Amino acid sequence: MESLLNEIAHCVEFGKIDLKSPYPPDMKGKEGAAELTKKALDEGIPAKDILEKGLIVGMAKIGIKFRANEVFVPQVLMSAKAMSTAMEHIKPLFITGAVKAKGTFIIGTVAGDLHDIGKNLVSMMIEGNGWNVVDLGVDVKPEKFLEAVKENPNSYVGLSALLTTTMVQMEKIVSLIKEDHPETKILIGGAPVNENFKNKIGADFYAPDPQGAVEYINAGAA
Amino acid sequence: MTYKRKNFEPDFSNFEKVLRREKPNRPVLYEFAFNIPLLQRLTENKFTVDENDYMTYFKMLTEASVMMGYDYITVSAWRLNALAFPKGEVDQKKSKSQNEGALIKDIESFEKYPWPDADSYDYSLYEKIGKGLPDGMMMIPNSNGGVLENVTELVGYEQLCYMYMMDAELTKEIFDAVGSRLLRFYENVSKFDKVGAVIANDDWGFKTQTMFPPDMLREYVIPWHKKIADAIHSAGKLSMLHSCGNLKEVMDDIIDDIGYKGKHSYEDEIIPVEEAYKLWGDRIAIIGGLDIDFLTRSTPTEITRRAKALLELTSEKGGYALGSGNSIPEYIPYENFVAMISAVND
Repeated sequence: MESLLNEIAHCVEFGKIDLKSPYPPDMKGKEGAAELTKKALDEGIPAKDILEKGLIVGMAKIGIKFRANEVFVPQVLMSAKAMSTAMEHIKPLFITGAVKAKGTFIIGTVAGDLHDIGKNLVSMMIEGNGWNVVDLGVDVKPEKFLEAVKENPNSYVGLSALLTTTMVQMEKIVSLIKEDHPETKILIGGAPVNENFKNKIGADFYAPDPQGAVEYINAGAA
Repeated sequence: MTYKRKNFEPDFSNFEKVLRREKPNRPVLYEFAFNIPLLQRLTENKFTVDENDYMTYFKMLTEASVMMGYDYITVSAWRLNALAFPKGEVDQKKSKSQNEGALIKDIESFEKYPWPDADSYDYSLYEKIGKGLPDGMMMIPNSNGGVLENVTELVGYEQLCYMYMMDAELTKEIFDAVGSRLLRFYENVSKFDKVGAVIANDDWGFKTQTMFPPDMLREYVIPWHKKIADAIHSAGKLSMLHSCGNLKEVMDDIIDDIGYKGKHSYEDEIIPVEEAYKLWGDRIAIIGGLDIDFLTRSTPTEITRRAKALLELTSEKGGYALGSGNSIPEYIPYENFVAMISAVND
């Protein structure tokens, strides 16, 4: 069992999606995260173990490498693709209650800003770490964030912005959400923001990279 | 009353000295682009700019640049619609998605794509614009997006990530199709007498790292930039790179392999320009650098103080031109912009 879970983790870490995927070149022709996940389920390994001791382990490893600049966005996207393909086999078990998400993470790029690379990356990493992600998309108005928080109690919220002119939206969103839901933890990220700005607007966490966001919310869920 | 730089006559040889990492005769200013209301304000609203009326725009830019104290004007290929790669529809607000509007996803769409001909453009427009410049002032042309920028827009960023990992052959074909056309464009614009230097504009970085692994840039992007820089130098002109984001991993490639003479675009969150000058200033000219967020949210006093300190820091060795980290968008307050450029008056 342990060996199969390690193989799954390896496939996710190195972005081996499935048998037909030519990437990575040294794993060409071998089974990927999708086949191995199915095999693990067929062998009776609990879905929770496949998720926590296989898939999530792989995503955590790639996240740490990304933070250390040992890998770049294309490698992270391949890992996320391997994870999400494997998750197709696991997702039906969420409905039965055999596996549970760690919680809900709401994410969006703030109003006026259509940039989505950072948001997508954070979204994939967090989903790949066992969270349910509500992606509100780009150019999201403050009211839409508030609505999502109302619909998803006890969720975390992630705000992304690319520009000096759009980051000011973050302050409005934080204030709107905290007014009604002071317990909601709000994370911010993006090119112009930093720790000082987080403090200024009363957000809870500045995530300099996706793994930082993952670790922050995982710590809260523990 | 509008701003005017004290005792100023355009003299491009000062900017050339900067690019050669020498001490200019007086402080030199550089800006990649200005917002139109700023240019109109500086020229006391004499000009009404229509998107298609490029001559009026360049007349206004020239007049405003002399007032502000610049030795050149940027001749933006975007404004002249020179060598534009047709793109798909992209929604645009204050920013735009780099995943939308992709037109190439496979070999079929690559082959069907209406590749523009870099030689069919009427380059005499550059001559015409050059004739309108006062003595001592020169043009610095750029391109309509760079090698990586254009490929990213044609394929979509995330899709390009997957393509690079799964289909090296098609990835190379697309980069070669874009790179070869941009090279031809740069060869064509570099030859004009009134072109004093050329800036290659191509964003490569995010805040924490390059947009693609350095090895990918070395395989597909950097070889084309080397050819572009060589073409500019063969025409007897000096070259610069405008590239945003964290490029620490490839700075040696930019300096030693490609051989660009100047590097433009800096962000405080990545590397403050003062630090960049200390790190690389003895190998490549450092151009601009006052962070856009700093220029937007600081007081004029703070801005002038930092600009003066920067001029002081770079005064001994030279190889520096004062300017913003990127360009002057409309949201930078006028007073803050003037606080920066007026630092050269003392």
